[in-house]
Amino acid sequence: MTDPVLYNYDLDIDCYTVRMIAGCLGIALELRNVDMFPGNEHLSPEMLALNPQGRLPVLVEDSLVLTQPLSIILHLAETRCPEHPLLPTDPGIGARMLDWMTFAAREMGVAGAARATAMLGAPGDLDALRAQARRALRLVDDHLTLQGFKGLGFVAGPEVTLADLMLFPPFALSRDFGIDHDAFPALRNWARRVRKTKGFSTMPGIPDYH
Amino acid sequence: MSINGWFPLALSDAITAGSSAGAIVKGLEVVVWRDDAGNAHAWEDRCPHRGMKMSFGFVRGDHIACLYHGWQYGVDGQCQKIPAHPELDVPKSICVNTYGAAEAGGMIWAALGEAGDAPTLPDATAVRSLYIEVPLNTALAALPSAVGAKGFTPEGPVARLDSRWGMLLVGLQEIGETSCALHIAVAGRATPETCAQIAMAAARLRDDVEAGVAA
Ligand code: FES
Repeated sequence: MTDPVLYNYDLDIDCYTVRMIAGCLGIALELRNVDMFPGNEHLSPEMLALNPQGRLPVLVEDSLVLTQPLSIILHLAETRCPEHPLLPTDPGIGARMLDWMTFAAREMGVAGAARATAMLGAPGDLDALRAQARRALRLVDDHLTLQGFKGLGFVAGPEVTLADLMLFPPFALSRDFGIDHDAFPALRNWARRVRKTKGFSTMPGIPDYH
Repeated sequence: MSINGWFPLALSDAITAGSSAGAIVKGLEVVVWRDDAGNAHAWEDRCPHRGMKMSFGFVRGDHIACLYHGWQYGVDGQCQKIPAHPELDVPKSICVNTYGAAEAGGMIWAALGEAGDAPTLPDATAVRSLYIEVPLNTALAALPSAVGAKGFTPEGPVARLDSRWGMLLVGLQEIGETSCALHIAVAGRATPETCAQIAMAAARLRDDVEAGVAA
């Protein structure tokens, strides 16, 4: 199999999510860097032909073109390393993982929008986006608090799964759109555990522990 | 504004060895951290070099390394090492402002200003900290009915409530005029189920009072 091609912008939160998770899964990607800001290259005719939504990341593998982080991550994991420990074997834990991955894609999407508005000049009502992002982060913090009473350290169960890795970037980058980590004790300690995942990597705005 | 007294910053459980967090008391920014030996510390959340928040940095054994340029500060707040000048004998004047720290009732406390004696509280099981975007008094007024108590006994920055789950100790942290944190612990030992019920009641309280303020 040749390496899948990822159209990537290093500072985009969703591109980071895909790169970081591919790294944790041990999957090599061929990166094609797209100058999203300030170049707006993701809106060029060539890129719009590939993804009419005008967004990154885009994964291309032979004739397959995928445009959503959730489908990109699941496709990579299921076709290239279905036995990987980041994919739970227990059906209940697997279902919870998918539930939280969908939450990450749908409810946490506001974090990416808030960050793009705050940092990259994207249009949007920053106060409203920030309030929605805070609400979504609180739902995860509340959930992790309850998981903790059951002795479970991660969103789907006792071990880290793809869902935790997908939820990590919006929390780790929340200061970029004006939400501090002070008010999320459960997320803070969970993030320390998530960082220990083998193959984990950071991006600008997420300090390496040195 | 002068701030005098002992103030709760976090639940003891929430600050694990080798970690740190930021906490604001009436606008004053504090970093609370725990060294690898298990001792809790409370400092002004400000690096003497260029003012970076110390809570953004990393705890390494018995010191914090600032995120910005990596200056390292020991448990006494003294700068020990400046990585860009490893040979330098660091002047004693480079020192983070430190506060007294204590642990009581399942919480970590900081002594700010003229603080007096550290609080004495019964042993307790930490439940959760709740961060609410309303004035402290608004949250406090709604607290008894949320936990099935008739009222509360204030003891400085702690409220004691005779709740349906037993005696609750709630540490009161006024962050600013419109936000606060409640650090909730239950006296004695509590089962995980009890803790989960208290935590859920607390989250409902937060959502209700915020909705009430917005309405
Ligand atoms: S600001 Fe802390 S080391 Fe420079």
